[in-house]
Amino acid sequence: MITLALPSKGRLKDDCIALLARAGCNVEISAKGRAYRGKMSGAFEADIAFLSASEIARELAAGTIDFGVTGEDLIRESVPDWQTKLTIMKRLGFGGADVVVAVPDVWHDVETMEDLGDVAAGFRALHGRRLRIATKYWRLTQEFFTAKHGVQAYRIVESLGATEGAPASGAADLIVDITSTGETLKANGLRILADGVILKSEACLVSRAGLKTKKAAEAASLLALLAA
Amino acid sequence: MLSPLSFLQSRNLTIPEISILQPADPFLDTAGEALRRRIFLSEGESGEALCLRPEFTIPVCRHHIASHANTPARYGYCGTVFRQRREGGSEFTQAGIEDLGDTNEAAADARCVADAVDLLAMLRPEFKPNIVLGDEALFVALLEALNLAPVWQSRLTRMFGDNAKLADALENHVTLPAALPFDELDFGAIVTRIEAEMLAVGLLDSGGRTPEDIAARLIEKRVLAASGISAKVREILTAFLALECPLDQAESVLKQFQTTHQVQFGIALQHFSARLVAMRHASINAANITFRASFGRSLDYYSAMQFEIYVASDLPLIGGGRYNRLMMLLGATKPIPAVGFSMWLDRVEGL
Repeated sequence: MITLALPSKGRLKDDCIALLARAGCNVEISAKGRAYRGKMSGAFEADIAFLSASEIARELAAGTIDFGVTGEDLIRESVPDWQTKLTIMKRLGFGGADVVVAVPDVWHDVETMEDLGDVAAGFRALHGRRLRIATKYWRLTQEFFTAKHGVQAYRIVESLGATEGAPASGAADLIVDITSTGETLKANGLRILADGVILKSEACLVSRAGLKTKKAAEAASLLALLAA
Repeated sequence: MLSPLSFLQSRNLTIPEISILQPADPFLDTAGEALRRRIFLSEGESGEALCLRPEFTIPVCRHHIASHANTPARYGYCGTVFRQRREGGSEFTQAGIEDLGDTNEAAADARCVADAVDLLAMLRPEFKPNIVLGDEALFVALLEALNLAPVWQSRLTRMFGDNAKLADALENHVTLPAALPFDELDFGAIVTRIEAEMLAVGLLDSGGRTPEDIAARLIEKRVLAASGISAKVREILTAFLALECPLDQAESVLKQFQTTHQVQFGIALQHFSARLVAMRHASINAANITFRASFGRSLDYYSAMQFEIYVASDLPLIGGGRYNRLMMLLGATKPIPAVGFSMWLDRVEGL
């Protein structure tokens, strides 16, 4: 029997269970307080491990679990060379959110990454320090800024929560963060750059690369159920 | 057996103690965040970011500034550097020279190239090196001579050394939308409006961009919107970037270019010519060096001459150049001209 890792809380968990229910699978959470284990029965049988979405990405990459549901943003951010270690079996159509570059709305001169490149290049001469970006997405930010847009003159400030408040508090000049509706950004006086969407993320069913034939066959049948 | 260290000692260089553990910020500030994934980061007791030295130039320059040493000063180093790579080892040996504060830049440039060539010749006399040399100052001078808008000048200068990006920018440069915010207002009026907006959202005096910064760029963008890159300018820049010849012919090629395209490299060409003379005095055979107008090493503190030396591979054995901007970035209180090179000893030994 395979073990499937599901997000342990919030909308993502509820959406996963609802999706599996529509496919004829019933997820039962273990009693006796062991809420991080469960069983799936019905059209497909599996053990369920409830983990945080970021743990799922990490554990899949480490090879300690074979299947899991997690966000594409977490895979791309936390797993170097993810294509060699993981396979996205199916994009699940929920948990949608974009990882975006957002600047203070009052930066009327900055509409595109090219503008931001100009600002970054001249920043130290004007302010004696590099332009600062608050984010928890180190890897995605570097890939987008440096590799894609050739912007090198910036520093990342680690932010593990309430990133959208960083420009107002002076901790950073702009942010890279995840947003689903953009309302939080707007409420904090921030605006997404015209070409500032780094990734359109959603929840994905992910497997470890290089599964044995038997597990791969089971994966295929689970996939068939979800596709039906 | 001749060692790199004995070579450095024979050149009368100061060889400073450079700690293996270095503060990480100077590297990340100067080379950019992209370096973060390639260095070994650690943390001090009070939370300061430390790293294993990924190279020597920045620590040597910081040592010079911190010790209030007189200029000119010449430093040599030979030791292990640490870089993270996906595959293979992460410890490498580098040897090099940093030449700080010599105001005779032509002579210092020539000495730098000569030392690099001599060091390689001492270690591996059996190989004939390929040397490629460029001069970013010529490109900067050309952009100015073509009267490009300052924003275009700085954008294209930032791309120097990355030929794919430059070609793409020249080919597909974005023409800006005609309608810009506050199009009808002058600088002062824009500042007033933005000040009010920033005050309302709590961004005024947050220590970041000021209303003046934003207004100045809006005015700049107006100029930019009205001035793209003309087909003629594109043609001239493309022709310049394609120039390649033996270095001993470069001066006449550049002069011919000036005549053909009716532009002047001005003082940049004078410096270039003076360097050639200094190279002759240093017994460098310029006929064995390839001048490539588009050659740059894509680090924003390099300012003029840049070169790399290869033998039988695309990986350079030696990289070097003039970095007049670096010393002030690292905290020097006045400009200090600087030039240097670094050799990857493992690559040289692996030949």
